[in-house]
Amino acid sequence: MNPSPRDKASTADIRTRIKRVIVESLMLEGLTPEEIGDDQALFGEGLGLDSVDALELVLGLESEFGIKVKSEQLDREAFSNVNALAGFVERHLELAGSMRAARK
Amino acid sequence: MAANARSGPRIWVTGLGAVTPFGWGMEAFARGLYEGRTAIRPLSLFSTDGHRTRIAGEVPAGLEDALAHLPPKQRARLSRTDGFALAAAREAAASAELELSEHGRPSVGLFVGSSTGGMLEGERFFGDLRTAGNRRLAASRIASQQHSGPADAIARALGIGGPVVTFSSACSAAGMAIEAALRSLRSGETEVALAGGADSLCELTYAGFNSLRAVDEQPCRPFQTGRKGLSLGEGSGVLVLETETHARGRGARALAELAGAGSSCDAHHMTAPDPLGEGLVLAIEKALTDAGVDLEDIDVINAHGTATPLNDVAEWKALERVFGARLARIAIQPTKSNVGHLLGACGAVEAVAALLALTQGSLPPTPTVDAVDPECPANLVIGAARALSYPATVLSVNLAFGGANVALVFRSDKPESS
Repeated sequence: MNPSPRDKASTADIRTRIKRVIVESLMLEGLTPEEIGDDQALFGEGLGLDSVDALELVLGLESEFGIKVKSEQLDREAFSNVNALAGFVERHLELAGSMRAARK
Repeated sequence: MAANARSGPRIWVTGLGAVTPFGWGMEAFARGLYEGRTAIRPLSLFSTDGHRTRIAGEVPAGLEDALAHLPPKQRARLSRTDGFALAAAREAAASAELELSEHGRPSVGLFVGSSTGGMLEGERFFGDLRTAGNRRLAASRIASQQHSGPADAIARALGIGGPVVTFSSACSAAGMAIEAALRSLRSGETEVALAGGADSLCELTYAGFNSLRAVDEQPCRPFQTGRKGLSLGEGSGVLVLETETHARGRGARALAELAGAGSSCDAHHMTAPDPLGEGLVLAIEKALTDAGVDLEDIDVINAHGTATPLNDVAEWKALERVFGARLARIAIQPTKSNVGHLLGACGAVEAVAALLALTQGSLPPTPTVDAVDPECPANLVIGAARALSYPATVLSVNLAFGGANVALVFRSDKPESS
């Protein structure tokens, strides 16, 4: 299920996987991943997520993408919508990749 | 009915709800009580390895069903205690035929006692964390870890917008909550109040009372010669209280009157009661004065009766100081012999048991194993239920760690069926 971070993942693929994480890890009943818009606000008026959801979402993303998110890296901007989250995940995947390369 | 000594409206009890070791709902509780059974049995919620006891008053399966109406995300954030509290509050509101949305939200209050809140979930989370390595655990599992979780859950579910207050004065918490509801209603702050308590079993309290050697390996035996300590229990009790004017205005029936309440603190010791029982005496005298009833009016005492060797004797001495020789004629109802000690919820479940007696017109028989202890010769109801004569008045008392005492007076002119 979870490809290693080494796998080349397209941004579109990352977006799809993020949407699945949102629905599954946040137990959003009656919502399918496809129904979540790329630019739809996740918190407040959009999907109505709250601060507990934010913690769950970080857990879900870490487990899905094999990344480690430090609390100082969390900002409102990165969690505003799926597009922003995809960029956030890509930066972590690149960082993880370059750290592995440096260790070799 | 004697007039209240204090000014302010009469406060009616118009609804009851309970989740107890006998099951989910008032019917299961009433059946267990009136069949004279104990629901204290081998514990399955967690391992009892390393403890001297293996038993507790554990609420049977039903939590999932009780929360099934909630979205999965909301469900995942609630504790076992929250589930008990929600189910009891919903049952109480339904039995009072109280449509909360029809009432001005700010005029409805909620007063809840809890000692453990979501401690069980906190323990399980911490247990998993120790073996989780670098893996993080889902935060929703401990979202309702705090003591105010049960009250918050009820307020959200039922739409209560008045004062929502949590009491955590150990074993007197629920009694204190009911007293606070009475004061709020009398003052005019609220017209309707839900009041009670909720607690689930957890490893800390189970291990703690084991360490204190305050537990009995057999189901607890309040006021009996062989008693060796308490049995822990879990559950929730909720009362719907409202001003007489408000209840009459919507055509609600009174199950009984909450006539008065009183509380006090021993200011003596962390765990031990004042050996002279002065604190409890003061709480009872305040409650009787508050209710405008005389000593002779009290027909039944729902005693704290934890069944520790020390408690029952100390409690008895305090009761003797208040009631003198008359105490021998007052029936004693020790509800802990049926369901165990529900800690922050015991005052609520015991008030519900007292109110059941007032509405049914009889006291249920107490399950007994040994003879009544001559050191605390309680007039227990043994064998068959005992009829009450009306008007009937019940005093319910609780003593807590920290020396916090509370006494409540319930009164009724007639049983519900007449």
